[in-house]
Amino acid sequence: MRGTMYLWQIFWTAAVLIAGLAFAFVTVVVTLKGGRDLREMFARLLEQKKRQDD
Amino acid sequence: MNFALVDWIIVAAYLVGSLTVGILGRRYVGNVSHFLVAGRELGLYAGIATLAATEIGTITFMYYAEFGYKAGFAAFAAAAISGLVMIVVGRTGLIIGRFRELKLMTVPEYFEVKYSRGLRVVTGCLVALGGILNMGIFLRVEGQFLTIVSGINARHLVAVMTVILMLELIYTVLGGMVSVVITDFIQYVLLSIATILVTIYAVYHAGWGNIIDKVATVMGPAGFDPLINPRLGLTFLVWQVLLWFAIHTCWQTTAMRIFSTKSPEISKKVMTWTGFIFLGRGMMPMLWGIAALTLFGTGAIGSDGSPAAMVNGRALQPLEAMPAMLAQILGPGVRGIVVAGMLAATMSVNSSYLLGWSSIISQDILLPLRRAAGKGPLSSKGQIFLNRVANVFVSLFVMFWGLYYQLPGAVYLYLNITATIFLAGAFVCVIGGLYWKRANVTGGYAAMLMGAAGAIIPYFFLHWNENVTGFAAFGLAALGLIFGSLAGGKNIAAAQAH
Repeated sequence: MRGTMYLWQIFWTAAVLIAGLAFAFVTVVVTLKGGRDLREMFARLLEQKKRQDD
Repeated sequence: MNFALVDWIIVAAYLVGSLTVGILGRRYVGNVSHFLVAGRELGLYAGIATLAATEIGTITFMYYAEFGYKAGFAAFAAAAISGLVMIVVGRTGLIIGRFRELKLMTVPEYFEVKYSRGLRVVTGCLVALGGILNMGIFLRVEGQFLTIVSGINARHLVAVMTVILMLELIYTVLGGMVSVVITDFIQYVLLSIATILVTIYAVYHAGWGNIIDKVATVMGPAGFDPLINPRLGLTFLVWQVLLWFAIHTCWQTTAMRIFSTKSPEISKKVMTWTGFIFLGRGMMPMLWGIAALTLFGTGAIGSDGSPAAMVNGRALQPLEAMPAMLAQILGPGVRGIVVAGMLAATMSVNSSYLLGWSSIISQDILLPLRRAAGKGPLSSKGQIFLNRVANVFVSLFVMFWGLYYQLPGAVYLYLNITATIFLAGAFVCVIGGLYWKRANVTGGYAAMLMGAAGAIIPYFFLHWNENVTGFAAFGLAALGLIFGSLAGGKNIAAAQAH
């Protein structure tokens, strides 16, 4: 029982480490590249709006 | 009062900045497609940010921390399931790829494409009911968090709730999805910084060795093994797998991001990468709850089997333990950044949910009923106006429900059950509609109604265990679709679609 508990402890320690690092990594990438996505979206929305008004 | 002047300045700057940027989104809205699905112009990175921000709120931190406090590391299984299922959905494109190809704006819209207009309206009613009941407790729980961390007197809880709601309502009503996507991006960055900061602070103050020892002492092996933990077990885990498949494919606020992406391929990538965020979205706040248990869980054992959190001589509920811990361990400045991050999380979730549930009321209930009454189509401007009115209605209901409803158990399980009201039937109907030729309108009605009954009656009236209730709802919905379809003959709409 104690051995199984120890294995679970190692498993969850590794899991939370991987989860935390993945969270941080995706956050950095999205922060750096998301601004360009938004600018493109604004430009296309304005185009769509202009076409609609014409 | 726990807040220093610098904390108030940080929070005020965030609120003003977020509101201003949100209002600017209005200039990009020209029609109802812009208002509800951002003109389907969402790219990969902005898509990840808005999907993650939509599903990470202060409410998420609160219920996961409470779950961690009560179930220890075993609770991590629920977080792992949510992330892994999302990655599977993203990689396979299960449902979401087809949804994006159909160019939908709401999930119940699919029911008119595959089944009938009547079933769309019934599904819309159930989705709105489950969704709004789900959101109904957000403000109260978020208000609790903010009053505890900032030290504002609890008597001002209603005022705090009202201010949060009004701010997010203003930009959601004006700019719809465009404003929500812009603010979500800023809010995602802020809430992620806050999440990482709090995790570091919590582990540093509690100590990793102490955290492990505390869980082992209080809960024994059940604090680590989800299969033997009395709050979880095999039934819970299977229900969670079903529920998360349903959430990641049929939950309106998630699906709206999928509908908003530029292409089906981008929608799959958004889902896959957000799945990695979801692993941390669950496990990190659960860890905060376990750290709070380690630092303050020294009180008498309550009726739920958890020790009360003792903070400054006061016994607190498990739900209050995490914010109380933050008030103790964060210093001036950091506390302001964290609260601004939590406010960002709150506003991103609430604005998306307001838009999501109000779009269901306008697009899937009122407009189809209007068409059934023989009236012509409503103009785009008319539809946007209808959505705005529905937004205000949802806000008022949420305010009312948050003030008067008393939760019977853990917040996480309440949210799961209210989601199951429509998700059980909707998921089964969508799977059946896409992958089973004999699925028809009769089966669709039976699945939606039996799934909803399977969640509402056992939980709200019979007070059954949440795990059994959730499991029963999915089982009943599946039986409803199978037997209803077999008994109901051929469905013309489904036959045409196939």
